[in-house]
Amino acid sequence: MKLPSQSGLMPADSASGTTLHTIVAVMSFLACLTLGAVLTLSRLASEWTDGLSGSVTVQLLPSSQISPDDQMSEALRLVRQWPGIFAARAISREEAGKLLEPWLGEGNVLEDLPVPQLIEVTLTPGRPVELEGLGHALADGVPGALLDDHQRWNQELASFAASSEAVGWAVLLLIALATLAIVIFATQAGLQAHREIVEVVHMIGARDVFIATEFQSHFLWLGLRGGVIGLMLAAATLLGSGYLWDVREAPVGAQLLPQFISAPYHYAWLLFVPAVIGLIAMSTARMTVLRVLGRMP
Amino acid sequence: MVRFENVGMRYGLGPEILRDISFTLEPGSFHLLNGPSGAGKTSLLKLIYLAERPSRGAISMFGREIAATPREELPSLRRRIGVVFQDFRLLDHLTVFENVSLPRRVMGEFESGYRAEVEELLSWVGLGNRLNAKPPTLSGGEKQRVAIARAVVAKPELLLADEPTGNVDPEIGGRIMRLFIELNRLGTSVLIATHDQRIMERLPATRIFQLIDGRVTTAQSAKDLVLAEAMRA
Repeated sequence: MKLPSQSGLMPADSASGTTLHTIVAVMSFLACLTLGAVLTLSRLASEWTDGLSGSVTVQLLPSSQISPDDQMSEALRLVRQWPGIFAARAISREEAGKLLEPWLGEGNVLEDLPVPQLIEVTLTPGRPVELEGLGHALADGVPGALLDDHQRWNQELASFAASSEAVGWAVLLLIALATLAIVIFATQAGLQAHREIVEVVHMIGARDVFIATEFQSHFLWLGLRGGVIGLMLAAATLLGSGYLWDVREAPVGAQLLPQFISAPYHYAWLLFVPAVIGLIAMSTARMTVLRVLGRMP
Repeated sequence: MVRFENVGMRYGLGPEILRDISFTLEPGSFHLLNGPSGAGKTSLLKLIYLAERPSRGAISMFGREIAATPREELPSLRRRIGVVFQDFRLLDHLTVFENVSLPRRVMGEFESGYRAEVEELLSWVGLGNRLNAKPPTLSGGEKQRVAIARAVVAKPELLLADEPTGNVDPEIGGRIMRLFIELNRLGTSVLIATHDQRIMERLPATRIFQLIDGRVTTAQSAKDLVLAEAMRA
């Protein structure tokens, strides 16, 4: 008679195993979503502050002392000559209109409003620029010119991004602690259901390490499988949200909102979640079995 | 091989189940442990297969004082003992073959090293065609034979059996007893806890430990035991 290969000491499928799978999958899903949100916030914080600190804006308010065209050409000339300036570009009225469209709607609103002309100034990366001097030079040389170095925005955005990121990490920590507690509890419950196996194998002469190894392998795979199911569900959710955020589908203004996880390396970080859950389940099983065995003669 | 000296045992803070137990099991001996239900037969066997610790007294196994033996060395002593549990204690998710080969597996042996022996043993106890069956599908008698095969598969120096013929018909019971006698002839010491009168009659020259009220008395044969009981009455 042909014999199948040897089974593990733990039953492959059992009621406790199914429950543990479900619990682990749900916790993995929540942990992956939270980690995704934290990574997105972290990326946004970095992008916002990098983007703002690498550029300044010159506003040209309407002035009776100079024509708009002369005001623009004089300001561009002065800025482009200033040491440390990489590029300076006049923002056309159409572009300005598009920037304001989400708030003011479509139409020729700019013609009815005294909207200032704008110059986008890009700073040379890594080179210090004397922005205060540039501000004074513009104010003295070009009537109505005003330099906005984004300092106030930059600080507020950096502060907002940092606090959002901190809240995200705190939520992730809470989810991680809850996952840890639930996985430990579910693993212990699963082991309790199979205490008979531990006792029998112990009585026929198995060493503690042998029994612990059998149980920890079982729970490692159980944790990994549940964790991967949660990861796949979370990845599907994140990709789905990314699709909804796509500019073709999103409503006006949605372009300004962050897209959930845009870099492939973010998904690589999510792979750690099932691995960590598997390791938690494994070490819990090992410690619990060794503790149960330690109470036996 | 096994020596008990004034051993007493209680569970937790309860009353003493076993009192002043002293006896010796010599290598190659065959003993029966007799006594009414609740007399402490199973508790005494648990002390011998190191599943419980005594409350007092000294136990020596295979030349080692158990109280002085480090816990991590106890598995190697347990491997020298085969146990047939009263409630079988088979693992329901494992096949008959896997249950029986478990003692060899925990010793670190590979399946190729014991497969033929296990198959032969299972054929001998009449389960050669049930190798892949799981315990829940077996009858009480079949489970008992699997439990016996598991107890003897590693050729233990000491075999303990708790009511091994309780759930089998007389023919299978006879085969099981012949297996125990054969193992004993090959050098295994055997201690069978039973109150099956047929076993005691079949083994007329066997030493019998009588356990009453937690104390052990020794009789030289079933006949002596019957006489002693008659005198007590």
